[in-house]
Amino acid sequence: MTTVNDVLIEKGTPVFTATLQTSLKDALQLMAEKGVGALVVTSGDTILGIFSERDFARKTLTQPNFSLELPVETLMTAPVIYLRASQSMEECMTIMTEKHIRHLPVVEEEKLIGLISIRDVIDWLMAEKKLEIRELERFVESRPEAD
Amino acid sequence: MKLVDELIEDKGGWVCTADCQISVGNALRLMAHANIGALVILNAGYLAGIFSERDYARKAISIPDFMLDTPVSELMTRRVYYVTPADSLDDCMSLLTNRNIRHLPVLDEGILVGIISVGDIVKQSLNDMESRIKDLEEYLWIHMI
Repeated sequence: MTTVNDVLIEKGTPVFTATLQTSLKDALQLMAEKGVGALVVTSGDTILGIFSERDFARKTLTQPNFSLELPVETLMTAPVIYLRASQSMEECMTIMTEKHIRHLPVVEEEKLIGLISIRDVIDWLMAEKKLEIRELERFVESRPEAD
Repeated sequence: MKLVDELIEDKGGWVCTADCQISVGNALRLMAHANIGALVILNAGYLAGIFSERDYARKAISIPDFMLDTPVSELMTRRVYYVTPADSLDDCMSLLTNRNIRHLPVLDEGILVGIISVGDIVKQSLNDMESRIKDLEEYLWIHMI
């Protein structure tokens, strides 16, 4: 069974954060620089929210006085659903599918240690299926001819 | 190997489009309403660009004093990669991966007939792999008896 931690170790990318007061402009700038679709909003070790491209696209319209100077707090999603490092990738996938979310922060001993995206889940799932196919094919090939 | 037109037939050729004069605010409203991540933008009925959540997130910050009444044509991606109905889904996947994009309009002799997203391709290849696994398991099961 592949755990969330296994995938985090393999991808090894750090997680990028913002604070409640970070402006939308600065948050989007950071997301562009790092090439990521979401930031975790934190205060010290506490996770307060998550801010994604989708939050930005969907919730902009809810702000009557919208400006890029508004703090991330106004558009972020909170509370945040998160994973523990020991959880399985299957569980991760189920949560994302059921809740229709693309990013899940990973927490261990109350600390943020990573972020799993839908892309990570897809890569993992594809690799699993490919492996399964290869093993079955090998097994088929190794069998003596029938009759 | 499945082709683009087979996938379009399965999922339907419905594409959400907007004119390039539409404001960013109205484009976002349309996307939220249709629950989609990208709009195909037309100019006088012809493909002029594509406007995605990512375009909005990446480009709004580069416009001084950005406001929601900015025309979508200022934020859309003008150089649109597209596919035709006869292309294979493998072609689509490499285009999506290499160009790091999530949506591909489908054009048949210049006419918009559908749109394919990363999600569509992933769903399709997972289905293909599942049925391959089932076939192999069935084969093994039969030959074990």
